[in-house]
Amino acid sequence: MPREHLLKIGVSGIRGVVGPFLTPQLARAFAQAFGTYVGGGRVVVGRDTRATGPMLQHAVHCGLLAAGCEVIDVGVLPTPTIQLYTGAIGARGGLAITASHNPPEYNALKLFNASGLFFNHYERGELLDIYHQSAFREATDICAVHHEHSAPIRGHFDRVLKQVDVERIRARKFRVALDAVNGAGSVMTPRFLRDELGCELHAISIDPEKPFPRVAEPRPDTLVELSQLVVENKCDIGFGQDPDGDRLAVADEAGRVLDNDDVLAVAVDAVLARRKGPVVVNLTTSMVIDDIAAAHGVPVLRTPVGEANVVEGMLASNAVIGGEGGNGGVIFPAVQHCRDSYAGMALWLDRLAGGTQSVSELDSALPRYYRHAATVALEHGWLGTLMQRLAAQWPEAELDRRDGLKLLLDGAWIHARASNTEPILRLSVEAKTEARAEELFTRAKEALSLSAPTPAK
Amino acid sequence: MSRNVRISEVGLRGMVGSGLSAEHIIDFASAFGTFLGPGAVVVGRDPRASSVMLREGVIAGLLACGREVIDLGLVSTPVLQHAISRASAAGGVSIGASHNAAEWNALKFLGARGTYLSTAEAGELLDLYHLRRFAFVDWKNIGKLRMEDDALDLYLNELAGAFDFAALSKFKILVDCANGTSSKILRRLNDRHGFHFILINERMGVFAHEPNTSAATVALQLAPLVDPAGADAGFLFDVDSDRVAMATEKGEAVSEEMTLPLLADYLLPRSKGKLVITNLSTTALVEEIAQRHGGTVIRVPVGRQAATDALAMYRPDEIAVAGEGTGAVMMPRFRFVYDGIASMLAVLSMMRERKARLSEILDGYPRFSILKGQIPLTPQRIPALFAQLEHRYSDGRANTTDGLRVDWPTKWFHVRVSQTEPIVRVICEHRGVPPRMLFQELMDQVRQYAS
Repeated sequence: MPREHLLKIGVSGIRGVVGPFLTPQLARAFAQAFGTYVGGGRVVVGRDTRATGPMLQHAVHCGLLAAGCEVIDVGVLPTPTIQLYTGAIGARGGLAITASHNPPEYNALKLFNASGLFFNHYERGELLDIYHQSAFREATDICAVHHEHSAPIRGHFDRVLKQVDVERIRARKFRVALDAVNGAGSVMTPRFLRDELGCELHAISIDPEKPFPRVAEPRPDTLVELSQLVVENKCDIGFGQDPDGDRLAVADEAGRVLDNDDVLAVAVDAVLARRKGPVVVNLTTSMVIDDIAAAHGVPVLRTPVGEANVVEGMLASNAVIGGEGGNGGVIFPAVQHCRDSYAGMALWLDRLAGGTQSVSELDSALPRYYRHAATVALEHGWLGTLMQRLAAQWPEAELDRRDGLKLLLDGAWIHARASNTEPILRLSVEAKTEARAEELFTRAKEALSLSAPTPAK
Repeated sequence: MSRNVRISEVGLRGMVGSGLSAEHIIDFASAFGTFLGPGAVVVGRDPRASSVMLREGVIAGLLACGREVIDLGLVSTPVLQHAISRASAAGGVSIGASHNAAEWNALKFLGARGTYLSTAEAGELLDLYHLRRFAFVDWKNIGKLRMEDDALDLYLNELAGAFDFAALSKFKILVDCANGTSSKILRRLNDRHGFHFILINERMGVFAHEPNTSAATVALQLAPLVDPAGADAGFLFDVDSDRVAMATEKGEAVSEEMTLPLLADYLLPRSKGKLVITNLSTTALVEEIAQRHGGTVIRVPVGRQAATDALAMYRPDEIAVAGEGTGAVMMPRFRFVYDGIASMLAVLSMMRERKARLSEILDGYPRFSILKGQIPLTPQRIPALFAQLEHRYSDGRANTTDGLRVDWPTKWFHVRVSQTEPIVRVICEHRGVPPRMLFQELMDQVRQYAS
């Protein structure tokens, strides 16, 4: 039987199906471990709009207070807004209660350090040790819970708006469509687009009290309504957010949802047009980034998949822009070192305002690559064999082993890696021509599935 | 051995940080959410700093069990108990350690109608807690939290129906709120109903003195101020205002033991029911007063549990009053809930109807002197201690339903193990002067068996 990952406690934190698996007990214990790790002091806590959020937030507060922390409850806010506020007020750390793009039955805790950044590898390891040993701080003096909601929003807006030409954007009075998936951006994003950036807004799914009306991950196949909205209202651009407002999808004026790598590419181009510096992306991000960086004369560095890894790479290289192509994550350090749909939206509108090209024209001006992606069920103990088989198919390839196995070929690459959160192998392929991409993808899939034992259904 | 947390039929009680942990809280709340019949759960807390942490855990556990949670915020236990009944809720959780010191905290579990759980119910809750197999619901059915801030006004409306506010508001009363929830209630009685309560230790949260209702605490800050303030009487509440003690208009501190006899004297003649239910540690003055009015005293083991079980054995109209020597009294005319505020209003009603000062009423009773002490226990040696005491005092009438109580015609003692703290309690009373010899003797014997 394939393993069902209804609860996962590991280096990415704690994530699971709420109710029988992710319980208030676990959330409390993890929060108390977090409170112990940061050693008391102020901790910022916020959440997305999931129905299970309030219950878990009370459990998290309980654990933090027990560890002697003072809780700053910022309520329902996007993850990047919570991160930025954590860093801005000099808190000891922050927690976001969100399962990001995962289905509504899931929830999770995202953990931030005093700078508002995701815990790095070492921080996560140490936190996990405290959690596993239940070696919790038990305070005798219990602090209070404070509530703050508007300051984080204002702070986030100000940081983003400082990085773009607001007047130029406002002057264009863009017609913008928005699908906020009834998530944490439901209230804040309309304010951002309409009030701050002077857009004519056409929004759906902006009721934070309602459930997610679509698959939470913003992808071309889940944003059908956004496409319709763009067409019906003759919008210049459409934005789709995920429930915690870190990921961004973009639709062109014809309602076509762009490939996520292209969304990142245009944002990278917009930033590099204003300032030069290294670009950091993960190993599965498109080569289109390399072309854009080359045009601006700056290097591209690649890291293992995962926001925390990309951020570490960006900090180490002093990068000016980065992200993860596959999932619509733009990381713009001038705002903050985190995946931020608000930075993404602002950069896109700034790029549109800076010229006369439409979204579809900007997209079609990008170098064209062809991509395929798939997931392959993975049985324990077979990973190494599968990877060897894959490498054997292309003896001429240059190998990158930092995250699974990436085969670099002439004008093409193949990347296979095991998921951190699910028992699957993710396969991605990119090539300059469609035929090549197709051929590499088919061969790679065969190599990965042939020897794998087929699980009994 | 750490005795900083006590898990029993009484609920969960402990010192925050050195015994009572967040883990206990969420597990107990989850067990309670699993245990209760269908319906919402009402939650309230006292002003201790740690009550905020307990509240978060209680709400999380209840929501995870799919319960609608109604949070009343900072309220006294009696106000919470009234609200449970009014909302037809499945039950409630009172967060607060009542008369215990500031570093303690506790969860008290209340059933439908706001009463304490019976021993059988409390036992089942405890089993669920120990099993840790909780009825968590599917993510779609997670409960919702609702804040309710009119519980106090609705409670005051009910009080107004039971007492003559217009008449009682003429008294000038000094109150030591012990930095507890009573200040909120009394402040509102002043503002909305024209009462004249002068409040001391009104600020909630930081305790100006130990929050108990002993005569020594009354004498500490309240009693000396009654006369200078020109007040008709003084009252002292514990933190969650279910207990009350008094000082006379002359500034004499009255033992908290007097609250029940006083109210028995007031209520027995007015009530069809003639039963007075109290525990084995309460003053024998109760019997004398009951006799005056043809009442009958029923004595049960100490603790909420035994009192709750005993009350359930009688029809409400058979009972005149029930209470403890701690100053916690309940009156059937105003729900079966220990309620210090209602008790105070009943005392004031008595003063008004008899046109008598508090000292004059108290002077009408024979003098009883009670001495109380406590000694840390060594559990292994408890049986031997009781065997020795029983043997030594075999000339009296022994009652062993809760530790040992021995009665003689004009005196009695009660030695028992506390349910809420790791101590042996010694109480001894004499009709007349304080029974110092007997008390000293008892304390010495208990001490021999202590660590």
